Amino acid sequence: MSLALSTLLFEWRRYLAAVIALALAGVLMLALSAMFIGILQSFTATIDKSRAQVIILPAGASSLGGPGGGGGALPKRVVPLIYRHPEVVEVQDLPGDFGRFYGPGQTSPSMVNIMVIDTSPNGVTLPDDFTDEMRRAIEPPYNVGVDASAVNQLGVKLGDEATINGRTVRIALIMEGYANSQAPGVVMSRQTQRLMGTANDDMFGLLMVRIKNTSAKDAKRVAEELNAMADGQYKAWTKEPLAAATVKDAMSEGLLAIILGFMSVIGFVIGVVITWQTLRGAILANIKEFASLRALGVSIGQLRGVVMELSFWVGVLGIAASAVLMVGITFLAKSANIPMGFELGSSLQTGLLLLLISIMSGALTLGALKKGEPADLLK
Amino acid sequence: MINPLRKQKIEIDESPVFKPSAEEAGKTWAIEARGITKSFKAGHVKVDVLKGIDLLIEPGEIVLVMGPSGSGKSTLLAAVSGLMKPDGGRVVALDKDIWKMPRSRIDRFRLANCGFIFQGFNLFPALTASQQVQVVLKFMKKKKSERKAAAEAALRDVNLGHRFNNRPDRLSGGEKQRVAIARALAKKPRLIFADEPTSALDGENGHVVMELLRKCAKEQGATVMCVTHDARLAVFADRIITIEDGRITSTNADPAQFANSH
Repeated sequence: MSLALSTLLFEWRRYLAAVIALALAGVLMLALSAMFIGILQSFTATIDKSRAQVIILPAGASSLGGPGGGGGALPKRVVPLIYRHPEVVEVQDLPGDFGRFYGPGQTSPSMVNIMVIDTSPNGVTLPDDFTDEMRRAIEPPYNVGVDASAVNQLGVKLGDEATINGRTVRIALIMEGYANSQAPGVVMSRQTQRLMGTANDDMFGLLMVRIKNTSAKDAKRVAEELNAMADGQYKAWTKEPLAAATVKDAMSEGLLAIILGFMSVIGFVIGVVITWQTLRGAILANIKEFASLRALGVSIGQLRGVVMELSFWVGVLGIAASAVLMVGITFLAKSANIPMGFELGSSLQTGLLLLLISIMSGALTLGALKKGEPADLLK
Repeated sequence: MINPLRKQKIEIDESPVFKPSAEEAGKTWAIEARGITKSFKAGHVKVDVLKGIDLLIEPGEIVLVMGPSGSGKSTLLAAVSGLMKPDGGRVVALDKDIWKMPRSRIDRFRLANCGFIFQGFNLFPALTASQQVQVVLKFMKKKKSERKAAAEAALRDVNLGHRFNNRPDRLSGGEKQRVAIARALAKKPRLIFADEPTSALDGENGHVVMELLRKCAKEQGATVMCVTHDARLAVFADRIITIEDGRITSTNADPAQFANSH
């Protein structure tokens, strides 16, 4: 084991402040983006969980466009264009809407996020976590499902009647996994939506496409082939790139980007200052030992290497501590029905940033080694 | 308080005046220091710590440099060992004019040839006795197996064969100093510099440490320059040099004179 790692493990208390600072800086950066991604995912849950392999968006849309947005509309005539591809089996639109929900236990109505799905067995927009029992529950007209996290807020229980946009509906399903911290989620069948009078059969936000072979490789190929046939009328996506583009688009939206950027800068500065000072204190505590190595002929460059290695390991521990904290926070959020989502890209970015903080702190600490003049040991 | 041993702005006297005596001419020296001067500024006052010292040490000799506090003995050790540049004079150690070399080459010279033992033991709290010794060898790019064998041999030489895996908090003061000696000796240095190596130890431990230092140095054929004001160490020296007020007062003092002094 190297000198740096042995020192870090043996004198861990000395380095604890730096590790905690890094972990908190990581949490500061990660928790906010995870919460935002969570909100975003709660709006696109029915897309993520659908049985479609390819999603068709308007040609100009760069992503799903964040909460409630679809990036324009697709005219009805696009549907037959998609069917031209020989491997396309089914094309359906996925309507989504907001509605005024009035539950029996409510004194004032709530705005709800209405998710509309197919209730035919294995329907293309039927979420893959829907059991046959769940599907049948909302199959009858005016039967709707409510997420378990929204039951209290909407003042309903299973079997209750409530109104959406003035129409009476029956709560026939309490489901899980559709929590939405912005607007409670309500799921209904396509038929119910028609009866409610909110269906739009001419313009669609997006189209869900099922293809013959469901492998990711085939989906990618079919999407590419559909795009080659699109002639500027639509754009085909597979699920993963679309989810990534949606998060990216939403993250770069004005205010959020500023908040995230600001949090990152604050986290970075606090992380660097605390880590630097902790490392400096720890190095100065061992300065005589370093000076004795200098006397024995170990070059200042080699000792700098030890300090940099030490800061690297502090960074690694900080990342680990950050991950542990995030797991705890995720559990807490789950118990409080706050959806959180993690994206590999931003998690990796945060990890790299923490490593950068620790390496920078190490670089700032190098000056402390100058206090270790071997001649000082001769007294 | 200003530490007089810190690096100061210096002016080198490039042409020290030296005429070797007939007895000295033709001899080879492990350490040959001529006309060493060093002064420090304490506020507006310039203090001359070394006032033109000539020091000659033969290969394999164990030399004790003795003198009262503030006589300049530690500064002399720093100057001849390559730790602190003197203002004037010349130091040739193992045929290398060390203060004419750039700092990086002095580091390499010390790494290859010098062992140091200090008053404080300066052991890393996190490392075991074996690791303390190995860490220097690692910086010398020795192979792992070679390092381990050398460390264990050095620790056995200082009678710490049973303490390989103990960290400093499990060692007594005497044992810590013996680890420091093993660390200095494991790389088989040709020059060993010791600064008050026994002053943090009781008489008995001090005696044991010096005996081991002498035995190991003799076995390895290393030259030892040991600075102390502890008269009890006189018996371990081949030769005693006395220094007072920045000048050498004797290059071969009688050990008996010190034996009577305590």
